[in-house]
Amino acid sequence: MQIDNRCVKRNKLLDRIFSWLFLAMAVLSASFIVVIILFVFIKGISPFLPGYEYGQVDLLAFLTGTVYRQDQGVYGVGFIVINTLIASFLALLLSFPISVLTALFIAKIAPKHLATGMQSVVELLASVPSVVYGVFAAGVITKIVDALATSFGYVTYGGSSLLAVILLLAIMIFPTLTSMSITAIRAVSPDIEQASLALGATKTQTNFKVVLTAAKSGIFAGAILGLGRAYGEATAVAMVAGNKLFGPTFNPFDITRTLTSTMLVGLKETTGLDYDIRFSVGLVLIVVIFVSNAILNAVKKRIGNQV
Amino acid sequence: MNRKTKDMILDGLTYISSGISVFVLIAIVLYLIIQGASSINWHLLSSNYNVTAYNAAVVETNPGNYAPYNGEGVYSEQYGVAFKDITTAHNDDEIQVVYIDSSSPLANMESLIAGEEGKMVGLNEDSVVQSLYYFDQSGERVFLSRTQMSDAATLVDILDNQSSGVYSINYQTLGGGIRGSIIVTLYLIVISLLISLPIGIASAIYLHEYATKSKINSLIRSGIDTLTGVPSIVYGLMGVTVLFPVTQLMGATSTSILLGGLTLAIILLPTIIRSTEEALMVVPQSLRDGSLSLGATKSQTIFKVVLPCAVNGILTGILLGIGRVIGESAALVYTTSTVINDYPTLLGQGTSLSLMIWSIMSGEQPNYELASAISLIILILVFIINILVKVVAKRFSRRLV
Amino acid sequence: MELCFDVKNLNLWYGEKQALTNINMAIESNAVTAFIGPSGCGKSTFLRCLDRMNDLIEGCRISGAIIHQGIDIFSKAQDIVDLRTKVGMVFQKPNPFPMSVYDNIAYGPRCQGLKDRKKLDEIVINSLKGVALYDEVKDRLHDSALGLSGGQQQRLCIARAIAMSPEVILMDEPTSALDPISTNKIEDLILELKKDYTIVIVTHNMQQAARISDYTAFFLLGEVVEMDKTDVIFNTPHDKRTENYITGRFG
Repeated sequence: MQIDNRCVKRNKLLDRIFSWLFLAMAVLSASFIVVIILFVFIKGISPFLPGYEYGQVDLLAFLTGTVYRQDQGVYGVGFIVINTLIASFLALLLSFPISVLTALFIAKIAPKHLATGMQSVVELLASVPSVVYGVFAAGVITKIVDALATSFGYVTYGGSSLLAVILLLAIMIFPTLTSMSITAIRAVSPDIEQASLALGATKTQTNFKVVLTAAKSGIFAGAILGLGRAYGEATAVAMVAGNKLFGPTFNPFDITRTLTSTMLVGLKETTGLDYDIRFSVGLVLIVVIFVSNAILNAVKKRIGNQV
Repeated sequence: MNRKTKDMILDGLTYISSGISVFVLIAIVLYLIIQGASSINWHLLSSNYNVTAYNAAVVETNPGNYAPYNGEGVYSEQYGVAFKDITTAHNDDEIQVVYIDSSSPLANMESLIAGEEGKMVGLNEDSVVQSLYYFDQSGERVFLSRTQMSDAATLVDILDNQSSGVYSINYQTLGGGIRGSIIVTLYLIVISLLISLPIGIASAIYLHEYATKSKINSLIRSGIDTLTGVPSIVYGLMGVTVLFPVTQLMGATSTSILLGGLTLAIILLPTIIRSTEEALMVVPQSLRDGSLSLGATKSQTIFKVVLPCAVNGILTGILLGIGRVIGESAALVYTTSTVINDYPTLLGQGTSLSLMIWSIMSGEQPNYELASAISLIILILVFIINILVKVVAKRFSRRLV
Repeated sequence: MELCFDVKNLNLWYGEKQALTNINMAIESNAVTAFIGPSGCGKSTFLRCLDRMNDLIEGCRISGAIIHQGIDIFSKAQDIVDLRTKVGMVFQKPNPFPMSVYDNIAYGPRCQGLKDRKKLDEIVINSLKGVALYDEVKDRLHDSALGLSGGQQQRLCIARAIAMSPEVILMDEPTSALDPISTNKIEDLILELKKDYTIVIVTHNMQQAARISDYTAFFLLGEVVEMDKTDVIFNTPHDKRTENYITGRFG
């Protein structure tokens, strides 16, 4: 065949250009995480540095503060961090058993058609956007909480409360927990199961004792992921959190304030320090997620080791 | 307790747990349908959210000959117009026109608004009456305020029994539509995909076709993986600090739809990269070998053989991306603002459908009906996308094997 | 006699594992050379070296030289894409691209920048005729190649290689995934192609090697035990191991 040398040369040049282009794009994609953390850090740390244009804020007071009042210019996020941790952990506690059992149902127990149906239910719940959950929470969950509070003799602020946030978050992290658990359970080698069955254990005993134990590392990874979601969930939580000015909140029927709701509420008409301080809150959120993940991953490693 | 009962209880627990999630899904869908389904109509989809005010004078004072009307509302026989009491999307009690005969004097009036005097305007089914001047039986001009007309029945009573003619009417459009937000959502989908698709696909190609096992490459990969765990509100913070200057170069003076689109592009990257990479993994190595052995360069092999085979993954990425854009709210609060804009432009502010929900829910008086209606629309879209993703996966898995 | 490949002291490692040890071999032009040996003996790996297809595998290290037309193909002077245009390859399993029959064969020439429709038509038809596939597919040149039978697909892959007018065609167990009738057709084809091309074939089937090849090399554990004219290898092998293998004592 006649080879068009000019064309071949061009192709080789193109080939090199493309390989560099692909590399450049991959580096670009990966660099965004650095950009995000770097810029949120720079902007978030600025109110605490001397010479800040709206008056320097005391970092320690900010981190340990128990009052957050933009009208008075008092910004303390200590109690907000505690609120966020409480809401997220309790949501996880509520959602975890239901998710794991549902995952076991889908992966092992349900008849085939029911399993596919349930899998679709989980997928649909996963695809429901945050705001839609928020509308549901504001319209339904708050009503339930309000009714519950009344029966206990409490008066709520229209149902907006710590409990409403917990219930909402529990629903929202359910799909993540469940699908991760399903993956973990499906990855359990059938050999272990058969060994258990061969020893005379029933199917159910095998599922609960052997399969779940073998899958615990993956299930735990799902819990870590779900917890990360819960910390960062913003619009839906802000719709039902109320906005308590001080705290922390321990009463489930009282209103609360999370890091994300703090970042969102009143953003429309704000400028200056109150705007900039939201980046500091965002930075705290990033740190909370990072530290929590690091601790839990360490715990996971230890749990994974002791079989 | 014997083993069988114990097993039954444990199995039963899994059934109950699954039941709870089904119950939650049904509860969400039912709530949205009950609250919002009745508000979903053509008017909602096609009209503006904000109201436009009109002030117009009647030209033809002689009552016309109207076709008989038996529909809903209170009918004024003298003017051939029917009114109804409603609560608008803005939570105001208003008197809405539900029917107007085309020969009614109120359907053909001249505008009194400065700058467009003499322009022909008229009441229509999208109008709510604010106030009017009428002539009483003695020909005196009387002002009738919104509070004086109180409801549709009173208004019709005054028009038919106390007036000898109408001088002018103050009215406005109904508002409460989501047309602007639909346009913004489309803008965001196009902008974000336009940017994240090439970057995402190229990154996936690098990771799967080029990257060897090295420190740098595993760093690149973990960087991209970490993006998945970043809460969307943090992306919003990044958008206003990092990307805002970029949009400023293009002429933006405030947060804008463009800025929202750029921010979303980054949010979509991990999704697009992952689904493309998963599709690349399925392309048999033998096809790559075949192409290379024919003297094709690596990039020719990728563009001519590998990518066409991976088209399903890219399609899945696009679909998931669209779903994410439709549902995203937190990142946009910071980047496109929460001002509901009926005439959005690329460099202007506006709300997507999801953001509009946040906007009307976080105001002083949350409007549950409108929020539920929009939620229902979003939910339907997202569910359709879910089904499409499955269809794509099924069709292509059959083709390649 | 003219040398197509002159292999000198070739060693190849996958990571820590040595897959080829000290290969020295002369492969003659316009002849069929067959590589035989038990599976995992390195014959396919060696074949892929001739087209530098091992470069794709991570952790692969090579020492030694393969001289082709006066140049070591591993040297910087040898462009890998140029080499592959001159050396075609046919794989174990038919691997037609998911495109039409026509586009499959036109693929190589198009990659070299050939756009002229008439020339492409000519190349496609000649290549298909060259593998005796033209009459079977002439009515469905623009249908997907995936609709062809396994034997047809493999002949298509050979046609695809021929379309580039290569000097050498490497075949990696080309009939192992085919039925006996298709295998027969491919074997006839190889004997036909020998006139115009140098053919190197890896086969797991000794009878096949005996039927179609002029030279045979016997591989064992990454080494060439013996290479000679095919009738010598099959009738009077010098090495005991070759004899054992040929007579079916192991394999």
